[in-house]
Amino acid sequence: MIKMPSQTADIFKILSKGLFISSNSSGKATADLFEVIDSEGNFELLRNYFLNIGFVLEKGDQYYYFSRQETKQDLEKKIEKAYKWIDYVDFLKTFDTAFSAGLRFSISDILTKLKIDADLEGKLSAIGKDAKSWEDAVRNIIDDLVKDSFIELCNEISGEYKVLAAFKYIEDLIMTININTEEDAQ
Amino acid sequence: MSKFANIRDLFAMLKREEKILTDFFEKRKLNGLKYDYVSDVLENQDDRIKYLVDKEVIREHSDTFELDELYISFFEQALDANEEINISYINENIETIKQNINYYVNEKGETKRNEYIRKIKNTLRNIGVITIHNVIDLKRNVENTYKTEANYKNKKLKLQNFDKKSNDINSLILQSEKLIDENESSFFAATLDDELQTIISNLKVSLDKSKHNLIEIKKQIINFLNQIQAQSIFIDKLRKIKYLKDQVTLKSSTDFIEVLKKKNDLVFDTAPQYPLKLSLVALQTDEAVRESILKIAARKKCGIKIQRPIAEIISSELLDTKTEEEIFINHEVIKNAFLASGYSNLLDYMETYKYPKEVNFEDIILIYCQLVSLYETDLVFNGEYQEKNGVNFAIVTHKQ
Repeated sequence: MIKMPSQTADIFKILSKGLFISSNSSGKATADLFEVIDSEGNFELLRNYFLNIGFVLEKGDQYYYFSRQETKQDLEKKIEKAYKWIDYVDFLKTFDTAFSAGLRFSISDILTKLKIDADLEGKLSAIGKDAKSWEDAVRNIIDDLVKDSFIELCNEISGEYKVLAAFKYIEDLIMTININTEEDAQ
Repeated sequence: MSKFANIRDLFAMLKREEKILTDFFEKRKLNGLKYDYVSDVLENQDDRIKYLVDKEVIREHSDTFELDELYISFFEQALDANEEINISYINENIETIKQNINYYVNEKGETKRNEYIRKIKNTLRNIGVITIHNVIDLKRNVENTYKTEANYKNKKLKLQNFDKKSNDINSLILQSEKLIDENESSFFAATLDDELQTIISNLKVSLDKSKHNLIEIKKQIINFLNQIQAQSIFIDKLRKIKYLKDQVTLKSSTDFIEVLKKKNDLVFDTAPQYPLKLSLVALQTDEAVRESILKIAARKKCGIKIQRPIAEIISSELLDTKTEEEIFINHEVIKNAFLASGYSNLLDYMETYKYPKEVNFEDIILIYCQLVSLYETDLVFNGEYQEKNGVNFAIVTHKQ
């Protein structure tokens, strides 16, 4: 009987909710879980274990997540979510071209840049049509990304956020999309 | 324009003008300081300004002043804040050594020879120090540029320039090593004393350290350049995808749908719920569960208050006591009377009996049946019937 790591239940709890476990999480507990999955032999062990219940443990660049074996998901919802992410990433990369895993920022940084960058402002108004103020619109975007575990709040007092390794998931998704070239379109 | 006559004057100036020089240095990245401002700080003493300009400490451009490059360089290097990495010093030092070796060889006089040797020793020391300094500066600048340079193009260009610089430093290190090893080894062999030996071995260590650091720096630069490349590729792709999305042609112009179809990642699920039922065993046995149940029960009790509807005032009419009289037939009395009488046929007796109220034939039938069922122990039915008024009666008598 192979011994499963004692953190298997915790790992399942997080991943089964559709969240990510990133290596650069400021919460020590989550960062530790990453180390557990990442350590020698554990990944295969856990992958086989979870396969038995229909969950596939997937490996990304410094992050892990679950996927299902069978297609059960609503394609429309997936498209909606992907569209939303494309808008978010475009906005954030306009705010800072180096916006990616590891970056620390605060909402006030974004608000400051909004005042001087008309392009950024335009993108935000397209995303946050219903928001009452710029701050609300930005907060909505950030809260949404925090909820899906792509970003985390690491200092409540200073309002500093950290971009987790899982953010690369969205980047990878975008890179995977192939744009048809002229020849294909014929 | 004159320079300082001696070092004491220089120090005096530095001490006297400490405030304004600090200001100049701190604001060196701006477009100089305005005349009025400088005048203010120097308490409107124009001759002090004139002195500084004369000694070429500060320079005048239209109506602003700037600190001379000489001082900026010195301060930056002394404070490790320089962004320019000047490798010409190393080059010159190497040249100086070569020249001094030459002078030494040509000179026969003892004192002069010693002078040259001293110069060579100092220069050798210098090379080691400067090289390490340059390497450290380079590393610092590479990191700063990558982290802070906002302009993409310039970031890339600066890093590429740093790469060239690292190559230059490397070749100078090699030259230095060659110098102390092969070329002039005859010179060094001849003049070798403890001090020189120490200096040379120290220099070798420094150069070695520098070489290793440079390898790291080069790796770092390549890493950064790759990241920039990857980022710019990504940004390109992102812009294209965003454009197609805004044009609402994303689905038709790409394999967006196929990609999404293939992915079954949980992150696309809307907050999956796994509502579980409570364990029956736990409900029955667990103490903590029992407390929860009691808490909820108590809450539920308080929650629902049964409202007793308050009735209206009873009207005074209804409060009057009314009496209603009803005369009822006492079956016991009739039965006893029948038994006491001489009649053998219940029905016959019933017809003669004085009832307390008016009875009709229907009532008599009813009373008859009631009596028979009530007192079946005292009455006997012998199986015969009699007819009266069209109704068949069973003949009932009393027990003998």
